[in-house]
Amino acid sequence: MTDTAGLERGYRRWLRWYPRSFRREHEAEILAVLLAGAGAGQRRPEPAECLDLLRSALWMRLRPSVPRSNRSVRTTVTLLYLGAVAELAAAITILTTVGDVRSNVAEANPALSEAEWHAVVAGQLEPTAVAAGIAAGLWLLMAWALGRGHRWVRIALVLFFGVNASGLLNGLIHGSALYARQDLAVGIALCLVQLAAVAGSFRQKLAGSPPGAGPFTPGS
Amino acid sequence: MTKRTMQEATFLILTALAAGSQHGYGIIADVAQISGGRVRLRAGTLYSALDRLRLDGLIGVDREEIVDGRLRRYYRLTAEGSRQLAAEAARLQANAAAAISRLGGLAGETVR
Repeated sequence: MTDTAGLERGYRRWLRWYPRSFRREHEAEILAVLLAGAGAGQRRPEPAECLDLLRSALWMRLRPSVPRSNRSVRTTVTLLYLGAVAELAAAITILTTVGDVRSNVAEANPALSEAEWHAVVAGQLEPTAVAAGIAAGLWLLMAWALGRGHRWVRIALVLFFGVNASGLLNGLIHGSALYARQDLAVGIALCLVQLAAVAGSFRQKLAGSPPGAGPFTPGS
Repeated sequence: MTKRTMQEATFLILTALAAGSQHGYGIIADVAQISGGRVRLRAGTLYSALDRLRLDGLIGVDREEIVDGRLRRYYRLTAEGSRQLAAEAARLQANAAAAISRLGGLAGETVR
């Protein structure tokens, strides 16, 4: 008879990657399937099994827990992921268009000294690029949270859009020289994606979840 | 708008459940048999798919049993699952028929 205790311990270790709520309901069941499928004399999980469990567990944690039929939520989640991509694009664009920005600033202020330019880079451009990187992370977090049914995301989304849009408008009104043409294009695209996500999240609120649509409740 | 096609693993899992309720390991074995050994689902992949199918209302839990001290949960196709499986099977059948018909047409041509 195969000693399954060690093998079972090994499987259980990998099953810990799954969300707690999922494990509560399915761990014993998956374990039975894993043990039934184990080869004779197998003492530890095979690398391919570990990879499969890890991949599935991470996917279970990240994917939206709303049914495919709930299109408004899924579309909004997709828009939020797009927002993250746009933020990353904004960060990269800011960093790669510093030369263009310098030309714009110099045009507006021909007496710009090297020290003043460094102050602009350190005081405005670099923080903006870092903020865009952090914002990308927040977009991902909001996408994940909305997909798990956390309703606070709508408020966060409005605030986030407000901050971004006012930042862009303020920049345009008071210091448009700080924007290269590419920065403006990415900034405007970002605001449009955010606006669409806000509209989508509120449309979903008005529509509500269809009866029997599934567990649109906060996941673990 | 075109409707998203069903992934092969999903199609095979639903097919495995079409004849009656099955537990996890039974589904894995049945999917391997249906696909002629080509598709061998791993436990992680299977349970991700089962969870998604339950969420989408295509399958449900039929019953649970304890066998040799281990939990077995049996899954069954819902009415919506049957409907979507039938629609996908018809779509695949129509595509296959078109392909076979055209290949047959080509095969019928005399090679010069």
